[in-house]
This record gives sequence, C-alpha cells and structure tokens, in this order.
Amino acid sequence: MALLEVSGLTKSFGGLTAVSELNFQIQAGELLSIIGPNGAGKTTLFNLLAGIYKPTSGTITFNGMNMTGCNPYQVVRNGIGRTFQRTTIFRQSTVLDSVIIGQSLHAKVGVWGSVLKTSANCREEQKTREKAREILSFVGLADKENRIAGSLTEEAQKRLSISMVLATEPKLLLLDEPTGGVNLEEISGLMELVGKIRQSEITICLIEHKMRMVMSISDRIIVLNYGKKIAEGTPKEVANNEEVIRAYLGVRYAA
Amino acid sequence: MEALKTAYSSKVVAWLLVLILAIVIPPIAGGYLTSMLILISIWTIMCFSMNLIYGYTGQLSLGHAAFLGIGAYAFGLITVKLHFGFWPAFFIAIAITGLLAFLIGIPALKLRGPYFILVTLGFAVIVGVIVLGWIDLTGGANGLAGIPRPNPIPLPWGTKLRFDSLLSMYYFILFFLVLIGIFSSRLVHSLVGKTFIAISYDENLTESLGINTMSNKLLSFTMSAMFAGIAGVLYASYNIVISPDVTHFARGMDVVAYLIVGGAGTMAGPIIGTFVLMAIPEVLQIMPYLKTLINGLILMLFIIFLPNGIIGWFNTILGRLLKSGRVVNGPA
Repeated sequence: MALLEVSGLTKSFGGLTAVSELNFQIQAGELLSIIGPNGAGKTTLFNLLAGIYKPTSGTITFNGMNMTGCNPYQVVRNGIGRTFQRTTIFRQSTVLDSVIIGQSLHAKVGVWGSVLKTSANCREEQKTREKAREILSFVGLADKENRIAGSLTEEAQKRLSISMVLATEPKLLLLDEPTGGVNLEEISGLMELVGKIRQSEITICLIEHKMRMVMSISDRIIVLNYGKKIAEGTPKEVANNEEVIRAYLGVRYAA
Repeated sequence: MEALKTAYSSKVVAWLLVLILAIVIPPIAGGYLTSMLILISIWTIMCFSMNLIYGYTGQLSLGHAAFLGIGAYAFGLITVKLHFGFWPAFFIAIAITGLLAFLIGIPALKLRGPYFILVTLGFAVIVGVIVLGWIDLTGGANGLAGIPRPNPIPLPWGTKLRFDSLLSMYYFILFFLVLIGIFSSRLVHSLVGKTFIAISYDENLTESLGINTMSNKLLSFTMSAMFAGIAGVLYASYNIVISPDVTHFARGMDVVAYLIVGGAGTMAGPIIGTFVLMAIPEVLQIMPYLKTLINGLILMLFIIFLPNGIIGWFNTILGRLLKSGRVVNGPA
C-alpha cells in the first residue's frame, strides 16, 4: 500500500485551475521529486497536501487515512511535515526553543502542571528539550542552540527550518526548494542533509529546480505543467520524455 | 554560565526588593497613598491579564475592561442580590468571566489582526451598554452598592485575619497580584508559554508545526479574562460600590497603554508601566479629563521611539553593557 495516495486532486482559484485531476502515489521510503516550470502548481500541491488549501475536488489518503480537508495542524499530527519555499523560522526565538516548539505536539503538558512545576510536567519538558538537542546535532546546529534564529546565516536558517519540521516526527516530509537562496558550496551540504534524512526512514517529497541534483537524488520524478501531470517515472525516463523537454527541461537536456 | 547565574540571582534579589518595598511602604505612607497603591495593584493585575493575551500571545484585545466589568458585576450581583458569601461569590464570578471569554473567544479568535481587535472593542462597548441599560439588574448609572469586603480568615492560633481596614485590603490585593505574577511567570517560561510566544511570532508557522493555535489562543484568552475578572472582583470588594464606569472601554485601552509603556511580553513591564502611568498624573495633580489625553500622547511617543517599552529599552542597554563588559574582561 502506498504511503500517500492522491486521486483526482483539483484546486481552482476562481477561473484558474492551479492543480487539475492529479493522480499519484508516494511509496514508503522513496524520494519523489516534483518538478515543473514556475506556476505549474507545485507549491499549490504542497499547500493542498499540508491542509493549508482545501481541495476543490479529489481525495488525499495518507497511511490509509482520508486526510482531505484536514486542518494544517491535524495533517502534521498525522505525520506529514512540510517546509516552506521562503525560509520560515521564529526569528526572535532561540534555535533550541524553535525546535522545542516543533517537538511540543508530542509533549503532554498542561497549564496547572506548568504553573505548579509538577514532576510529570518537568519530565515532559526535559524530554522535549533532549529530543530537540538530538535533532539539532542531527542537522548540524548543536553548537548554535542558544543563538537567536534571525542572526543565523541563510544556510543555517534553512537547516533550522528543516529541524523544526523534523521535530514534529513526520513520516512524510515535504521539502519546498530546500536549497533556494543559498550559494553553491552550501547546496551540497544541504543535499547531504536531505540524504541523511532519507536514511532515517523518512519518506521525502521534494520540489526543486536544480536539475542535476534532482536527477541524481530522486527515485522517481513527477513533472507538472499548468497543474497537470505530464510525466512520471525514473529520472532517466523523465529526462528523455519529449513533452518534458518541450515544457521544462529544454533541448539541451535531450540525450 | 557564571554570568548567567549572577544575572539570575540579581534578578531574584531585585524582585524580592520590590516585594519588600510593596509590603513595608504602605504602613508608613498613610491612607491616601495606600488607597492609591490599591488602585495601582488592581490595574497591575489587569496589565498582567493584557500581557498574557497581547504581550505573550500577540492578540491585542481592546475589550478587557468588559471582563473586569463582568467580574465586578457578577461578584456584586451574587453577593448583593443572591446573598452569597465572599469566597463562593469570588469563584463563581471568576468562572462566569472565564466562561463568557471562552464563548466570545470561539468566534473572535478565528479572526486575526485588526478584525480581532475590532470584535473585542465591540464586545466591550456592548457590555458597557448592557450594564448601563439593564437598570433592573445592575442599577444602571446609579451603580450597585453594598458589596462586601472579604470574610475574616481564621488563623490557626486563634485570631482572625480581618479585612476592614484599608491596609489589610491592600495586603489582600497585593497577595493576589503576587499570585498572578508568579502564575504568569511560571506559565510563560513553560512549554505552554513558549507555544503562546510562538503564536505571537508567527501563527501560520506554529500551526504548520502541528500545534492547534486556535485552542491555544482560546486558552490564553480565557485565562487572561479570568485575571481581569479577579481584578474586577477585587475592585468591587475594595470599592463597595461599582458603577458602569468600570466597564467603560476606554479603561481597557488605558491598560494597553500601561503595558506598552512598561514593556509588553516582559514580567516587569506591567508593574513599571502601570505604576508610572498611574502615579505620575497623581503626583502632578493632573485633571482627570486630561489623563486620557496625556496617556495617549505618552503611548504615541513610546510606540514611535521605544516600542519595546521601558523594560525592553532597559534590557537593550543592559545587553550592550554586558557585551562590552565581556570584551573588556574577556581572556583576549
């Protein structure tokens, strides 16, 4: 059974159909990339999967559960985490606190426990803090836990935004251009991180524009154009697909 | 780490010093000053209420005067018309305030930014009109009289703690102020508080991390309203008479001014802000009708020049001093 199954997914904004009749599956453990020209509906698709938009029609089934129309926080609680295209972090917060917030949905804390500092509550907070530190060392930010998030470099902020989502303990991670806006040397570091996440048995769905990277890292690729799926397959199949070359890759890519 | 420990212990010392001053000064100071300090303490509780919902959760409510009014009138009506004792009436009044805040919060907190602010303002105006207009229940503009002071509390060694003097009433109110201060401090430093703060930074991001922002905002709003309800009950019991003035929405805006001037989202801000903005007009003997005008001017100046308030400004200066100190004393 597929981890995520999308069938007949459509989203229209007034007269514009941003995503139209989309059908695809993501298998547990694979890395699926979604590519396509600007305005193809990639980010809209992520917003639909993350519950930010409600679909006009169609269904999203995750882990055997119907997730269509769930609120964003319910989607996350069921195991789909997502990062945003624009780096989104709590700029005024410390690095550690940011990741703690990501982990907090797993903590059983209450108002009275917090105010009376009950041992159960302190234990939960301690557990959350330890878990957050674990994740920070996983993404390579362990030495920066007391820094204010907004003072980090763009690359470190990207790592932080990913670690905040990892803290929610997703089964499926939606990464929206994780290497956007960082320089060339830093890209390989971030891609290493994506590889590392994948090894920790998290299924990844990736939106990227950097073709060399997409081709090398993906198990499968889906190509969108004007909200429709125009191709699906292994990197090699997609790279040789004539419609994809015409719509997106350009002739240079034709083998 | 050493520097952190020193900073922490000096903070504790500063708080204890303030508390000792608050305990020691009134007996020496005399009746007028004590009654002034009682009012300042009540409005500081209001300011802690505003701090929770606005300073820490980022939801500006201009309608908090309504919750003070609901607390005060609920307490007044339960004691005067239903003849309940002080403590049952106290808890019922707080529960009613919390329940109403919860019910208003469900639709209001779905709105964000200016829309939420407008709903809270509208709510305060409506409550004000009801209190003024429902004469059979509230006594209308004549107000409600005969509200009791707290019942004497029996002490283990035989005597009773009485609250008929001004001074004892001051300590009674100070006790609740300290309680609410400690409650707030512990709450905002816990994971629950961190969640509130995260919502104030970026609600969408918080929700995308699996947090039900709506229920967290509702929790913060309800608790904040209950603080305001406590302030209302204390005010009613201290003053014995309440009039529709206590629910006037402009009083809710005053609290916002106190908080911003003191420093929103800090623990000392509500105390400093309320004290400064309430004590200065009193010392300078400013006409009551000019107070609101001057409050407004001070608020505008602070929003332009010191948006983080007195405490925020103080922390910035302190941070700079610590930094330069580290450079001087550093191992380099």
